[in-house]
Amino acid sequence: MGPAHDDPLDNTADVETPERIRFRYHVAGPVRRALAYLIDLAIRLVVLLTTAALTTGIGGMKASRGLWLVLLFVLDWGYGVLFESLWNGQTPGKRALGLRVVKDGGYPVGFIDAFLRNLLRAADFLPAGYVLGLLSMAGDRSFRRIGDRVAGTMVVIETGSAIDAAITLVPPATPAELAEIPHRPPVRPEEIDAIELFLRRPRLSAPRARELAEIIAPVLAARMNLRAGDPVRFLGLLHQRALGLRGAAPRGSAP
Amino acid sequence: MSDRQDTWVKNRSGEWNELAALLGQHRAWHRFPAPTIARAAGLYRSVSADLMHARSSGYTPDLIAFLDGIAARAHAALYSAPPYRLGAVIDLLARDFPRTVRRHGRFVAFAALLFVVPGLVGFIGSVRSPRFATQILPEATAEQMRESYAHDPGEGRTGDDNAFMAGFYVNNNIGIAFRCFATGILFGLGSVFFLVYNGLTIGTVAGFVQSAGYGRNLLTFIAGHGAFELTAIVISGAAGLVMGYALVSTGGLTRFGSLRARARDVAHLVLGVVIMLAIAACLEGFWSPSHAPRRVKLAVASLLWLGVIAYLGFAGRSGRAANPGTGAGSGAARVPLPTRHAK
Repeated sequence: MGPAHDDPLDNTADVETPERIRFRYHVAGPVRRALAYLIDLAIRLVVLLTTAALTTGIGGMKASRGLWLVLLFVLDWGYGVLFESLWNGQTPGKRALGLRVVKDGGYPVGFIDAFLRNLLRAADFLPAGYVLGLLSMAGDRSFRRIGDRVAGTMVVIETGSAIDAAITLVPPATPAELAEIPHRPPVRPEEIDAIELFLRRPRLSAPRARELAEIIAPVLAARMNLRAGDPVRFLGLLHQRALGLRGAAPRGSAP
Repeated sequence: MSDRQDTWVKNRSGEWNELAALLGQHRAWHRFPAPTIARAAGLYRSVSADLMHARSSGYTPDLIAFLDGIAARAHAALYSAPPYRLGAVIDLLARDFPRTVRRHGRFVAFAALLFVVPGLVGFIGSVRSPRFATQILPEATAEQMRESYAHDPGEGRTGDDNAFMAGFYVNNNIGIAFRCFATGILFGLGSVFFLVYNGLTIGTVAGFVQSAGYGRNLLTFIAGHGAFELTAIVISGAAGLVMGYALVSTGGLTRFGSLRARARDVAHLVLGVVIMLAIAACLEGFWSPSHAPRRVKLAVASLLWLGVIAYLGFAGRSGRAANPGTGAGSGAARVPLPTRHAK
């Protein structure tokens, strides 16, 4: 583990795989889970209403109502069990929101786990509207409701986030510009890291970026007896120069 | 330091995208053609290595989050749950369910007491005084009960009605059993409540109908499916009590750890209950209201009761002791070892 990973601010759950790889799950909170639940609820309603509309008039009136009641029961109690055990911890609602039920160790849920956690919804629902479930989630780092705690499961977020765009200088740095900056600029690695984080903020508006850069660029420039013309560009150049590139062509123009 | 983030991302992202595309298909990996499986497993390993590399090189959080996400999804796909076998249902019925019932026999006995004693109280109370029944049951319900048992319940019912009633019982009774079980998480109190409440209601109805003079109709009607239904409700209550007790007597584990240790047993109990109640609903919908003579019905009912008791008491008793896998403690931290499928 690298430094400063002790106790992250976010609610995460570390998982160690048999390959001794550790990765970090982001645990899903109540709002995301409630949204997934609402999607599932809507799907169940649509299924119930369409079957009700389709089966009325087929066979005896009462027999079809009996079948409908069986369907109501299956959807009520079995929907989560079936989907979570067949779709590896996902229901359609959870899949839509990128959620997945996993065992505490990051392993997949089995039938028994899915069965228990969904049956215990009846307890989480008490006294009304999932109040107990919410209380249980509030008291747990992994936001587990009672059903999760008994079955030993948690709900994690697994939407693949995107990688920020690569750092580019527009227009690309000219050799003359780079030559102005010393070959080994007198900046500490942490400072380079900070500059890198700054340069990877694509959503920063240009005036705000300039405002921030104006704080630090002159300080660094003074160290090298230079003057930072455009502070943002100066930081970009400095970053490029500091990364060395063994005297290769500027990165912006690399194929 | 030439290996900085952007160059590295450019070099590696091809494999990441390939893996992401595979994951986007939402297919179980064992259904892929063999070369794809091998490729996918290799991609997972290299993404895992990339994640470690990114982390130790101090790359930016967005990149680490991206790799984390893709590795987690690949992990879930690679180590997905064992495939389901029909044999598991047979194992449950032939062995696991009756064994678990016997292992928790004291809870079952206690749940039976909580159910039967209020039932007797209700029965005797409402036989003695009609006011008693109306105190407990809503007036309309009591009246409806008297009406429906005034004649043979099967009279005038069609197959159509039967199908409806079977559906109704599935929905109603299994739902009751599930709630009776689930609320046991409140230190057993919910199960106690549901057991007592259902026992009292059923006893009172029976007493009320008896005092109206239709007791034999009621007995003939419920005796058959009661063998499954009443036992199942008691067992589901017992499962709830097991959970409640696990919270109190933790045996040195955390409360929820102790609960998880019994989770498998509890699940076996409730799964058995589901099957019993499904049988009960079919009997209740189709056999109990049938026009079979009273004697036949009572004889069948006695056989069913004997059968259920014999099943719970003796099924799955083999020469050797129960397999160690179902004992306490196996519910915690189950690693999906391949031994479960080994023939």
